Amino acid sequence: MSYPVTRRTFLQSLAAVPLVALPRLQAAWPAWMPRLAFAPPHAGPRGDVLVVVFLRGAADALNMVVPHGEAAYYRHRPTLAVPRPDDRRVAAGLRAVDLDGFFGWHPALRPLLPAWDAGHLAVIHACGGPDESRSHFQAMELMERGLADVRGPASGWIARHLASLDTGNSSPLRAVGLGEMIPHSLRGAVPVTALRSIADFHLGGDLTAAQRMQLTLATLYEGEGEVQALGRETLHILNALADLDPAAYAPQDGAAYPETNYGFGLRQIAGLIKADVGLEAAALDLGGWDTHFAQGSSEGLMASLLAELAQGLAAFHADLANSMDNVILVVMTEFGRRAYENASLGTDHGHAGVMFVLGGNVEGGRVHAEWPGLEPEQLFAPGDLAVTIDYRDVLAEICLRRLNNPSIDEIFPNHTPTLRGLVRDSS
Amino acid sequence: MPLGRREFLKAAGWIAAGGAASACSPLHAEWARQAQTGPSWPVPTSSAFGVLQRLTFGPTIEEREHASSMGLEAWLEDQLAPGSIADPVADRLLRALDSLSLQAADLAAWDRQDVIAELRRSTLLRQIYSRRQLFEVMVEFWTDHFNIFIDKGDTWFLKPIDDRDVIRAHALGNFRDLLWASAHSPAMLVYLDNQANVKDAPNENYARELMELHTLGVDGGYNQLDVMELSRCLTGWTVRDHLWKGEFIFRSETHDDGWKEVLGLQVQPAGRLEAEDLIEMLATHPSTAEHLARKLVRRFIREDLEGQGETVSRVARVFLETRGDIASTLRALLLDSGRPLPTAPKFKRPLNFVVSSLRMLGAQTDAGPGLQQHLAAMGQLPFAWVTPDGPSDEAGPWKGGLMPRWQFAMDLTAGKIKGTRLPLDDWLEVVGPRTSSEMIDGMGMILLGDVPDSNTKAALEAVASDAAWPGRVPEVVAGMLASPDFQWR
Repeated sequence: MSYPVTRRTFLQSLAAVPLVALPRLQAAWPAWMPRLAFAPPHAGPRGDVLVVVFLRGAADALNMVVPHGEAAYYRHRPTLAVPRPDDRRVAAGLRAVDLDGFFGWHPALRPLLPAWDAGHLAVIHACGGPDESRSHFQAMELMERGLADVRGPASGWIARHLASLDTGNSSPLRAVGLGEMIPHSLRGAVPVTALRSIADFHLGGDLTAAQRMQLTLATLYEGEGEVQALGRETLHILNALADLDPAAYAPQDGAAYPETNYGFGLRQIAGLIKADVGLEAAALDLGGWDTHFAQGSSEGLMASLLAELAQGLAAFHADLANSMDNVILVVMTEFGRRAYENASLGTDHGHAGVMFVLGGNVEGGRVHAEWPGLEPEQLFAPGDLAVTIDYRDVLAEICLRRLNNPSIDEIFPNHTPTLRGLVRDSS
Repeated sequence: MPLGRREFLKAAGWIAAGGAASACSPLHAEWARQAQTGPSWPVPTSSAFGVLQRLTFGPTIEEREHASSMGLEAWLEDQLAPGSIADPVADRLLRALDSLSLQAADLAAWDRQDVIAELRRSTLLRQIYSRRQLFEVMVEFWTDHFNIFIDKGDTWFLKPIDDRDVIRAHALGNFRDLLWASAHSPAMLVYLDNQANVKDAPNENYARELMELHTLGVDGGYNQLDVMELSRCLTGWTVRDHLWKGEFIFRSETHDDGWKEVLGLQVQPAGRLEAEDLIEMLATHPSTAEHLARKLVRRFIREDLEGQGETVSRVARVFLETRGDIASTLRALLLDSGRPLPTAPKFKRPLNFVVSSLRMLGAQTDAGPGLQQHLAAMGQLPFAWVTPDGPSDEAGPWKGGLMPRWQFAMDLTAGKIKGTRLPLDDWLEVVGPRTSSEMIDGMGMILLGDVPDSNTKAALEAVASDAAWPGRVPEVVAGMLASPDFQWR
């Protein structure tokens, strides 16, 4: 990142607040009352449960959803390209899985076919943000803050979505970050707790000592302050989770989540959704996509990551078969990778990437794209897939149509989204 | 009656004596003697504690007394010359770790997990027990700055060498030497894929992070073409595979020997010298000075850089004037006309939370798997950060992770962390006839630098004042470690 957005620029970016009123407002705010930093929240019923899977490291969109109809793709990637679906020179299991005559899944994404065939899974290709730094850290930060440049709110877009929509839901589990840390998308507007493991979310050991500690903590974390608020939130979650028995959780239809942190995280999200504990938003990461070196083609390093991704999504889809109408899951990454392979059997940082959207009300079974092409004159300097769909269009449409949140100005300031018919309206 | 100075020092002495085992007791006796001649009760709560919170991994009573008695400026000068500080405890504890003195080719024959575990242990033991605290703090700073994930390819046996010959060799030396060593470090070249950077189709990974993270900063004035051209200069910079396995080597046969242009400079073909000249230039580039100054201010002064423009400029200026002298830069950062710069509270990162608990309470620990497991649950096990940006120095990612800290506080005080114990019996002996109120105040002095505020005190009194006192001492300590106040430094 370059520099933190100051409170002042944060405030100035809130177009809804007249600037002249700022000094007085600012002075009246307690140190920790971020909700007041926003226009009064819009009250309305809650929409789908939002799940965001962030692929850290810039996943190679061109080898995930392969443009097998492009001759240039095969010229740019003599060793890394995924063979055409009809390429008889290689075994069928190593070829792209055709989706629409032009695009195809990487073969490791085959587990996604049931969701695709059910129309629950859509691909948005050649999408991304306007940032051209090709820096993982700047691109991730901007994307998670929902911005085009660093001037804007410091908080994350999911946090602002939650802060700007009053659903009357007071659950401490309204939003969680799966893992040890809170991703930026969830930071800075509502208290969000890191949930590494439901089974381990307790004070442990001697029951009476744990109970005494809980009482002590309740007093210690009284009072104002962000950390105090997070402490109280943590204690509420402790209570809310006390009745859950994660060991007894059995995924539906024997859905098999991968035995990884990512798989474990998705499984826990599914458990929270089914337990109906008030979850509205969850975020988790799957890392390892920075494949400069030995990325592989139909098989190899990236193929095994793709298999993990797909197996997790497929298990989640099967496990929540009865709840899919109220779930919207987004897969995103900070940018895509260079169209040309490098000499280390890998790819360097590029521009446009790919997103997946999974849910019962998705216009699925389709690749949504304004395909820019891969011929040299169509590439975005220095040889990258051009961005033709802004990632905020995708997220804004989800906020509007699936999450019942009309406050797009607050979630994605200074962006007028183009709605692209990716999801059906919940009303 | 408040806990008197003598009793307080006695408690501190117990803590110290319990902590680092018997071999060091003469040392502690020496500190205790110095402490007797120090300022009067209460132990200073003023600037010294706040500053020492940044310059150490959590100041012990002895360190506070020592710094107060000699003055912060003199203390800082001592710390900036770590070689002059005897460090018998840390030296003795590290002697058992054989891997620290080996070369890469030898380590490669070891068990991977053993090598990684020893490097983590040595790092934690030094942070906890070394008296060269500012040196260890800077080792952490540069380890984050030049982050290397220890579980990618061969980094598991290369990072220990990088830790010793790059980070520790130059942590308080000169940034140009540090950068130079890092650029020639096999661990870094493997981690950022430069070992695969060859002519005709360069691999940009290292070249980009060299400018974005290690030197100029993302807004430092380079562009994508500069990344591509610098990566061409770095073609052929790789690591030996067989003979002298794990050593740096420049392979001219894979080096692109054409002309390049980086940051507006024409680079004539000169093999390995091309990138070396550019590294020299990057090391003392004004953007590098600015980037490092911002990171240092964020680490040592305050997270929010608003209003810190003057300090950042001063630090950057001294960095440039001294051609990257790290000690001079730190002086400019930490002292303004001999006075410490006012700092704003910073939220402790997990590692600092754990290490400060152990230091301030005089814990005995082997820093082994029992302790490391807790750090992993909090998300900051050393050398486990996957991406080259290093663990965040901002509070945002960490604040939501209170539960594993509370679990650590309970497990530590209940003696449930394997390989780690607190000198609880010693405290009980000292606390013995004292009231819970006095004990809580004393603990506050040790852990928070002051008596706890009324809310914290009331909460801990409620635990303590049960009929079970003083059997509840461990729970009182757990409560203080878990309290909001102890999460800040």
